[in-house]
Amino acid sequence: MKMINPSRWQLLWFGRICRIPYQKVLENKIVSICLILLGIVLLLAILAPMIAPYDPNAIDLKNSLHPPSTAYPLGTDHLGRDVLSRLLYGATTSFVIAISVVGLSLVLGLLLGGAAGYYGGWLDETISRLMDLFLSFPGIIFALAIVGALGSGVLNLIIALSLVNWASYARLMRGQVLSTKNNDYISSARVIGASDRRILCRHILPNSLAPVVVLATMDIGHVILAAAALSFLGLGIPPSIPEWGSMLNAGKEFMRTAPYLTIFPGIAITFTVILFSLLGDGFRDILDPNKEETGLAIA
Amino acid sequence: MPLLEVEKLEVCFSTKLGGVKAVNGVSFGIEEGETFGLIGESGSGKSVIGMSILRLLPKNTHMSGSILFQESDLLKMSDRELQDIRGKKISLIPQNPTASLNPLLKNGEQISEIFERQENGNVKPWKAAIDMMESLLIKNPELSAKSYPHQLSGGMKQRLVAGIALSLRPKLVVADEPTKGLDSVSRERTIDFFKHLNEGSERSMLLITHDLDLAYNICDRIAVLYAGEILEMGTAKEILDSPKHPYTRGLVHSLPKNGLVPLEGSSPSLLNLPEGCFFHERCSYQGFECVKVHPDLKVRGGRLARCLRL
Amino acid sequence: MLRYLLKRSAFMVVTVLAVCAMTFGLMNIIPGGTAELILKHTFLELEEIPTDEQIAEISSRYNLHDPLYIQFSRWMGNALHGDLGTSYILKRPVTYLILLRLPATMMLALAAMSIAVLIGVPLGVLCALKENKLADYILRIATLIGVSMPGFWLALLLILVFSVTLKLFPVAGYGNISYLVLPAVALSAHTTAITLRMVRTGMLEVMNQPYIVFAMSKGLPTRYIVTKHAMRNALLPVITVLGLHLGHMLGGAVVIETIFAWPGVGSLLVNSIMARDVPVVQGCVLTIVGVFVIINLLVDLLYTYIDPRIKYV
Repeated sequence: MKMINPSRWQLLWFGRICRIPYQKVLENKIVSICLILLGIVLLLAILAPMIAPYDPNAIDLKNSLHPPSTAYPLGTDHLGRDVLSRLLYGATTSFVIAISVVGLSLVLGLLLGGAAGYYGGWLDETISRLMDLFLSFPGIIFALAIVGALGSGVLNLIIALSLVNWASYARLMRGQVLSTKNNDYISSARVIGASDRRILCRHILPNSLAPVVVLATMDIGHVILAAAALSFLGLGIPPSIPEWGSMLNAGKEFMRTAPYLTIFPGIAITFTVILFSLLGDGFRDILDPNKEETGLAIA
Repeated sequence: MPLLEVEKLEVCFSTKLGGVKAVNGVSFGIEEGETFGLIGESGSGKSVIGMSILRLLPKNTHMSGSILFQESDLLKMSDRELQDIRGKKISLIPQNPTASLNPLLKNGEQISEIFERQENGNVKPWKAAIDMMESLLIKNPELSAKSYPHQLSGGMKQRLVAGIALSLRPKLVVADEPTKGLDSVSRERTIDFFKHLNEGSERSMLLITHDLDLAYNICDRIAVLYAGEILEMGTAKEILDSPKHPYTRGLVHSLPKNGLVPLEGSSPSLLNLPEGCFFHERCSYQGFECVKVHPDLKVRGGRLARCLRL
Repeated sequence: MLRYLLKRSAFMVVTVLAVCAMTFGLMNIIPGGTAELILKHTFLELEEIPTDEQIAEISSRYNLHDPLYIQFSRWMGNALHGDLGTSYILKRPVTYLILLRLPATMMLALAAMSIAVLIGVPLGVLCALKENKLADYILRIATLIGVSMPGFWLALLLILVFSVTLKLFPVAGYGNISYLVLPAVALSAHTTAITLRMVRTGMLEVMNQPYIVFAMSKGLPTRYIVTKHAMRNALLPVITVLGLHLGHMLGGAVVIETIFAWPGVGSLLVNSIMARDVPVVQGCVLTIVGVFVIINLLVDLLYTYIDPRIKYV
């Protein structure tokens, strides 16, 4: 029998994963339902090329603006393209963009926020000012300007949204670092001679995971909305790639004749964002057990 | 005829983990002009009793028994009837004066708003507020009335809060842990303040405290509470000078001036009360019956006590 | 107080400068592009491709070869005098274009904010008082949808139902009050939902505070306690958030204005970004940032006025 010798890193993260309160996750009905539904949506998005009945970009002008029927379950748009297939591929697009943006802004934010909190001084000052700037300002304007400058394209959209989004992660991380920095176990680690990087990675980061997970989950929903908004305006996604926002943009011209073009993509967006919001809320309840039952003496 | 008559009061909180029986069949009476003390550790149920008299517990609380105030049962009253009683007939001096004052309202307003509802046309609310503050020796009443709670010292806030409670001259005042968390100097001041409050007044007071010195100094009678029940009841001097119940003896001996002898163990969980006497697990006089039989409150050895060994 | 204002103003100026600088940098990322743009929009016919000489001439005429920071400071200098340049496309002074459209945007934002407050606050209080009863559940689901729904989708749905089907309101445009209703409602949805939630949470927290229990022990009537004691404390944090949202409405207005063809600064911004009309873009960004920063300052001052514990923080 081969002996497994896990490295210390692997042990650390294995321990972390084991300590996730799976029991509580399953007990919380909302989270369970959301996870299941999201799993389904994700599956649909991944399997889109296989399940979509038609090519989402196949133009078929003879069949344009067909209301929902057996052949086209959700109807066709003005170019004869099947709405259902476009919705499915659109799911893929949305998820790819959202996860990339959240991933990028998370990394950027954690790095900057962590550095600001840990090292303090002028680094902290500068990064904090930057953070305040990005946090307070309506991001869509920035994103508009960036996409406007760089041009359309999925990559540019991802870059634009990430640049706008990193600040909330930075603020979170900075707060976490500041509050744990002065804990005794950090001081003892330093006394032993642990390097800064080691302290950050080994001690501070794992303890900050919980709020980051909550934030990231809800953020995915926000990014989906932002990306849809930019696509709706005609910026960001080239028309060949199906995306829910641009579907709404195209559909708005035909509201009188084909209202279903406006309804279905919107439902898709709203439904997905609701799932992520509820999931984020649920995670917050699980990971932060400070919720009390309010029993008002009044009313 | 006692002013307040509590009869077999039971208070139960429903929580996710089950029912918490905070008060377990408590009965006592307070006469007019008497100062009655409820003594006990945290979690003994004393604050809950005080709050039940005023019906200020959260809505998910289950109460049974009766609390007769001037012959009417407080537990059966509607919200409107309670509004008529609170402040005017029964009032509260709360535990934490700082937290009990609205930080966004001026100090004077927090007193004057009580007067504004009264039909007494002669009384100008703001003036009445300043008069009240003056009578309680709050420095600079006019200025203090116009400032905000965070601008007052702890002692001033204590007086302000007491003043609010006494404004409409209630017949019964419930004072909830006045010396909790105070340093020894502030404690002395508070004890003096309460002595001054109760001097020569026909008011009754229900004092809720864990501070035996305070109780000794201002209470006429006291009841010792443990895990939601009364273990011993009698006059303050009697009980604190010569405690009979093992728990009370433990409490008295744990005072610094008596040698600081600690009581072993801790109070039982209210979710899972022990069989027999609630105190038996910590009692050095524990006998065989104590584990099985739950004693009732009877006169034993000349004192109203709940102990099989007396 | 004066020191606080000075410090704050300094920060505001830095913010505005930074944002404008970033926009300027972004707009000029494509080298040589500005000259071509100017040529394309201003001097050339539709199909003509600019020649190198034309590009060179325009570049020297507008000093486009100067390093970016010099160009930027020139722009800033002019801006301080109220001259934001001229639009490539519309051939009019940018300042004029913006001032023409600013009132429309402000009107829309204020209308939306009023809806959010007038609906969000009372309903939030209601939800808190009737916690976990039917009304509470229904409204919480409504807010969840309101927060998750794309604003522009709501706009389209409103148009679908109220303009196209019921013919109650005009589809788009600017005119009397009936033109304002749909855009304002669409713009307010997100903020209303968030306000409702925040007021609800705030009230629930406040109602458990000792000072409320004490107020009850004074025998004060419930309605009075809710309005005079509870709401004041609960609404305090909401004010800051509302201020932030007013600023964000200026951004969200961008999409709504485009849908309803509302002649505001937002739609101007979008159109000029698409058309690469650089001076207008910069002018719009400057305006929006400026207004946003001023609103935030006012909100903070309002906060210090209401909460006596804070002193010119």
